[in-house]
Amino acid sequence: MNSSKYFSEKNDKWTSIVKDIFAILRNEFKTVFRDRGVVIVFIIASIVYPLLYCGLYMNETLVNVPIAVVDASNTSQSRDLIRKMNATPDVEVAAKYGSMRDAKTAFESKEVHGIFYIPEDFDKNLVSGQQVNVSIYCDMSSFLYYRAMMQASNYVVLDKGKEVQVQRLNAQGITGENAEIISEPLTFENNVLYNAGMGFASFLMPAILILIIHQTLFFGIGMLAGTSREENRFHQLVSSSIHNGGTFRVIVGKSLCYLLMYVIFSFYILAVIPNIFNLPHIGNPLDIAKLMIPFLLATIFFSMTVSVFIPNRETGMIIFLFFSLIILFLSGISWPQSNINGFWKTFSWVFPAIHGIQGYIKINSMGATIRQVSYEYVSLWIQTIIYLLTATWAYRWQIKKSSNKQKLDQE
Amino acid sequence: MRYQLFKAIIDSSTRELKRMMSRPIYFITTILVMTFCFVFFLTFFDEGQPNKMPIGIVDLDQSSLSRQLVRNIDATQQVSVITKFSSHKEAREEMQRGNIYGFVEIKQNFAKDALTSHRPAIELYVNDAYLIAGSLVGKDLMYMSALSTGAMQRQILRAKGIEESRIMGIIQPIAIDTHLIGNQHANYGVYLLNVLLPGVLQLMILMMTIFAIGIEFKERTSARWLENANNSIFAAVTGKLLPYTLLFFIMGMISNLLLYHYMQYPLHSNIGWMFLNTFLFVVSYQAIGILIIGLMPVLRDGVTIVAFYGLLGFTFAGFTFPIEQMPAMSRIFSYIFPIRHYFNIYVNQALNGLDARNSILSYVALLSFCILPFFVYHRLKSAAIKQNFPIK
Repeated sequence: MNSSKYFSEKNDKWTSIVKDIFAILRNEFKTVFRDRGVVIVFIIASIVYPLLYCGLYMNETLVNVPIAVVDASNTSQSRDLIRKMNATPDVEVAAKYGSMRDAKTAFESKEVHGIFYIPEDFDKNLVSGQQVNVSIYCDMSSFLYYRAMMQASNYVVLDKGKEVQVQRLNAQGITGENAEIISEPLTFENNVLYNAGMGFASFLMPAILILIIHQTLFFGIGMLAGTSREENRFHQLVSSSIHNGGTFRVIVGKSLCYLLMYVIFSFYILAVIPNIFNLPHIGNPLDIAKLMIPFLLATIFFSMTVSVFIPNRETGMIIFLFFSLIILFLSGISWPQSNINGFWKTFSWVFPAIHGIQGYIKINSMGATIRQVSYEYVSLWIQTIIYLLTATWAYRWQIKKSSNKQKLDQE
Repeated sequence: MRYQLFKAIIDSSTRELKRMMSRPIYFITTILVMTFCFVFFLTFFDEGQPNKMPIGIVDLDQSSLSRQLVRNIDATQQVSVITKFSSHKEAREEMQRGNIYGFVEIKQNFAKDALTSHRPAIELYVNDAYLIAGSLVGKDLMYMSALSTGAMQRQILRAKGIEESRIMGIIQPIAIDTHLIGNQHANYGVYLLNVLLPGVLQLMILMMTIFAIGIEFKERTSARWLENANNSIFAAVTGKLLPYTLLFFIMGMISNLLLYHYMQYPLHSNIGWMFLNTFLFVVSYQAIGILIIGLMPVLRDGVTIVAFYGLLGFTFAGFTFPIEQMPAMSRIFSYIFPIRHYFNIYVNQALNGLDARNSILSYVALLSFCILPFFVYHRLKSAAIKQNFPIK
């Protein structure tokens, strides 16, 4: 055997592989851009969704939630408490009512989202040194109303309480530093990290952004596969001369097409958008990029695997759209991951988005390094490998089926 | 005449029922998806509020007093001390890994300072990148700190010989009596599932309405569909969608029963008001589906449009972030989402148990969506006959 011939053959083989991959890549780009539906899902949705959601959740926290006050005491002390309440950023005293009945009517017509009640004996008890009660009634239709009401009243009552406390200690003959020590024998410093403003968008949007990437890729790829299945085009992807290696070339060519597109989209979604809307972005961009590579690959191969089972162009979206919601909850951004039961935690391993979201939030919002998110990072690479294998297997099966059908049709 | 119309509707329904048997997608979208969501969400949120969330402790003092404090923290309902760290840095890194939602740092000389009245500081750290977990952990830690402070104050005051009857008035001069209207235990499932389940239902109704009609255009069978209904587009559409109205209404009622009976979520009105709400909700989304496929008689475009519209419904229901606090335009925009009206009725009836008068406008709003299909009456009919829209 002549060794130079061997090498040139080997070289030829590689050239043909690269050529094939490029042909498939180019072909896939054409298919994507010729298909209006796919363009909408891949491109328009990737551009519009982040803008839209960031716009809607632009007001991070609730400000001046209207509340009603019922001041049965009606003394200078109670009025002071109400003034303090009104001064908080969270709520605004929209109306004062003479009775709970009237306040309730205002609540029922949704004019106010909470009621602050000061009882008749407020001043009397205040003077006599007893514990004084005030009541709050919270609108539970949204947790943010509830939080605004709780925050404002807790703050105000503590503040006013301190004043009263000092007076009462003085009355007992305890003054100066002694009074201060009793008033606060331990000091608790509350530090809110990684979302100091306790903002809603700062918390939810990073997860939504990753979800948008995951879902648009999934539905776009599903649409493409459904269409080629409808048109029975699968077999065309592989020329009849190459058999086993062919499938792999198809997978590489196609996934390269999606990857190239989504590298650009990811830059827009994860770098540009957080800057425009002032979402948290304290992470190292390089670490985010490192995480995104296995995330995009795993998502692409996952979508390609599932897409083989989608019989029609539309079915993917019809059946799986609701999964966007399931994935969001499985990701542990809202309901904490520590409290998701074992079964659903295991189930969540199916979706690259879960590790993608967690990894991204930890790096982007909490400033973790890629080493600190090694669990997510390694998991995503494992998913990449598993889904590459399943995608190859699924495509091979599909291509075979498709070309068999073609043969049958010709006979 | 009336009999003929009735027969045409029945014919159209019969034809649809046959179609529904022909492909698995019909069964999947009408029954399987909702069943999956029932199982998923009900098991997912069965705890009500997340309890015993992991937090860490950095105890640099290691005194009996600091250990007592740690025990107090561990005893609260929503947090559980899972790790003890030897430094601030270690704890912070563990928080960045997402393994703990907060930590408490007790400085050196804590006990000594406390006993010599030097007011030692205790640092609480919570991670609000996970807003729910962070807020709840923060709330629990603050509660614990108030208790610890109170216990300490009580000791000092007793030592000073203050009368027992006066002590409470000094420790906590003003107390808040909190009433959570409708959802007394601030159950997270109550707050979410009452919208999430209808939310998924509306996605499926929209998808199925578009699919059931759109597939006739795509497969070029719309002319036969119309013929079969005695050439009445009204009968053709009504008959076609009736089976879905029934199916989705049943799924919606099951959802109501699961929430209000099985899970015992708050229901402060007659369940009939929620059934009526659910029925009008189903019909109004079907009407919107007809409008969209009528305007755009191409299956693939219809699906894309309702996917977009349906997902926005979750935001515009206004249960997560209240509509009033969104940019001004959103308020007006929210009216075109039946789920917004559904949510209003739910809040008025089931949650707050108000007189049904408060919800009349929302019921009427839901009902008024049923006018929409008439705007595309002719367009849909002509598209069905001519079959002149692209199938792609």
